[in-house]
Amino acid sequence: MNTAIIFALLVVLMLTGMPISISLGLTVLSFLFFLTSVPIESVALKLFTGIEKFEIMAIPFFILAGNFLTHGGVAKRMIRFATSMVGHFHGGLGLGGVLACALFAAVSGSSPATVVAIGSILLPAMVKAGFPKRFGAGVLTTSGALGILIPPSIVMVMYSVSTNTSVGALFMAGVIPGIVLATMLGITTWYRARSNNYPRLPKATWAERFKAFRESVWGLLLIVIVMGGIYSGMFTPTEAAAVSAVWAFIAAVFIYKDLSLKDVPRVLLSSANMSAMLLYIITNAVLFSFLMTHENIPQAMADAMLGTGVGLIGFLLIANLLLLAAGNFMEPSSIVLILAPILFPIAMKLGIDPVHFGILMVVNMEVGMCHPPVGLNLYVASGITKMGITELTIATWPWLLTMLVFLVLVTYWPTLSLWLPQQLGMVALK
Amino acid sequence: MLKVLDHLEEWLITFLMGAATLIIFAAVVHRYASGFAIPVLQDWLLGLRFGWAQELCIIMFVWMAKFGAAYGVRTGIHVGVDVMINRLSSGKRAKLITFGLLAGATFTGIVGALGATFVWENGAHYAFFHFFGLATGDLPEGPTTPDLEVSTWIVYSAVPLGSSLMCFRFLQVAWSFIRTGELPHHDHGHVEGVEEVQLPLPGEEDEIYRMEDGLHPRDLRRRPDRRMENVGPPAGEAERRSGADRRKEDLFGAASTHGDTQP
Repeated sequence: MNTAIIFALLVVLMLTGMPISISLGLTVLSFLFFLTSVPIESVALKLFTGIEKFEIMAIPFFILAGNFLTHGGVAKRMIRFATSMVGHFHGGLGLGGVLACALFAAVSGSSPATVVAIGSILLPAMVKAGFPKRFGAGVLTTSGALGILIPPSIVMVMYSVSTNTSVGALFMAGVIPGIVLATMLGITTWYRARSNNYPRLPKATWAERFKAFRESVWGLLLIVIVMGGIYSGMFTPTEAAAVSAVWAFIAAVFIYKDLSLKDVPRVLLSSANMSAMLLYIITNAVLFSFLMTHENIPQAMADAMLGTGVGLIGFLLIANLLLLAAGNFMEPSSIVLILAPILFPIAMKLGIDPVHFGILMVVNMEVGMCHPPVGLNLYVASGITKMGITELTIATWPWLLTMLVFLVLVTYWPTLSLWLPQQLGMVALK
Repeated sequence: MLKVLDHLEEWLITFLMGAATLIIFAAVVHRYASGFAIPVLQDWLLGLRFGWAQELCIIMFVWMAKFGAAYGVRTGIHVGVDVMINRLSSGKRAKLITFGLLAGATFTGIVGALGATFVWENGAHYAFFHFFGLATGDLPEGPTTPDLEVSTWIVYSAVPLGSSLMCFRFLQVAWSFIRTGELPHHDHGHVEGVEEVQLPLPGEEDEIYRMEDGLHPRDLRRRPDRRMENVGPPAGEAERRSGADRRKEDLFGAASTHGDTQP
């Protein structure tokens, strides 16, 4: 009964359009005040202790690092490198777009920013080269979402915060699925380009490729610093994030010279703005999960779910559908923070690996970013392509379908995500 | 007066963001640098203690989060579920948006009050009375943090201060919404240095940056509704323009304010 009240309250408050963080907080406050005898002062204590974890502080650092490198200049270098590598295949610029999106998204950490940065440079070039606009828009909208799967990823940090899973293991687990998804999107692009006979670029020489690589390598080093630093044990994930932020600053200001020192306060301010928003959602999500634990909801739900006799396969299907449905209304961080505490205990009881479950959630979030009604990528893409949402949705379907196939693959084949961390000794072998 | 507050808020969170990054970076560099056996330098480095770095970083980020959240209300960055309300008629939407903003003010107000009580009872009461030389009686002195040994009430006062500021910002945005029908908007796809973006045609600027993403409530003036199109730009709009809008202005040059160019 209480469960129903809590969720009904939350949904009603959310549907009025108030910030998600506020609706979470208000649900907790009003429930505690009207329906329980829990002293409301305990809420105050939770508000202080909610985000006092060093692990959470990786989020602002990663956002800062990404913001330093979210720049048209960096996007151009990535595009040059990507097209020099794969431009000579069928649909060259499109393939280059997938690769450039994967690289830029990993570095910038923001899917919509990737779509804008890569899209606004590459799309006019593609149209000029003779690609239909729809094709370009479809490629870029979906490839932009690769960012939350390829580490460093903020959504993964969110998941690790709310389930106490190792960030390092999650990052490692994201590598192979990220490469596989990029390849699958590339194959779809290649196949459609070949059947429609879209233009190819002249093959670049190795000298040109090396030159393009040398230019983009400074930005890409960020991924190496984070992954290498965490894996070798040099840094904790939060320290790796801070070091990568300093590196991104050096790369943007002194190596690429895209930003001048004068721009730095502006970057700091916008990063602080973004991080504060996410940290505020976390604070209130912590409150909300405190309420759920207090009312014993995750446990009760797990028992109910197991009582119905759905097995592993059934649960994973339900989880996917629930996450995809949530993707229709909310953005990734909020979904992970609200649903992970509910789904995670059930997954644990069914013996699903926490890291595998995390990757599954992240892939679901990726799909959610690319379809209406709430797909951030779709909306920014509609801004730069000047295409309507409906037309754009039709344009993205081949790639969206590819993503759904990939989602099934990730869901029912844990080895795909778990192999690398197992080899590295970050996840126990079963 | 308000401008001073705006700038203070911006400076504070900018500073906290930058300083926290440098501190953690310095701590990491220190950890590795003090491993090298360079005679004088190593002794000096080993003499430095960076054990407090983590704690200070957490405190700085908690402060940044609380004040940044208030700044975020002003820039419209807080995301919500707006799929439903964006389908309603403008009258109903206006009511719901106002309700949402006031709910935000209520929540942050309550939290601010709770936080203030908590801080007061956990050391602030003692500290103030002690400072002014009043009898402190059996008031608790309050705990201190483990590494820095600062009184926790000072650290935790971020919650009442930040939350009250946020409450104020919600009221401010609600007031400006009621008067002008405009909300601050944050553009999640903003990227620097992308010159290739073709500037929008006159009258279409808002079309592109409207961000009907279902994460932000649409404000009343940006909707293709006959009745609203004739409403001219309200007087004194420039003063109330939010940070997000100012950024947009940079993008297009000072001339265009979105939505106002419609005939």
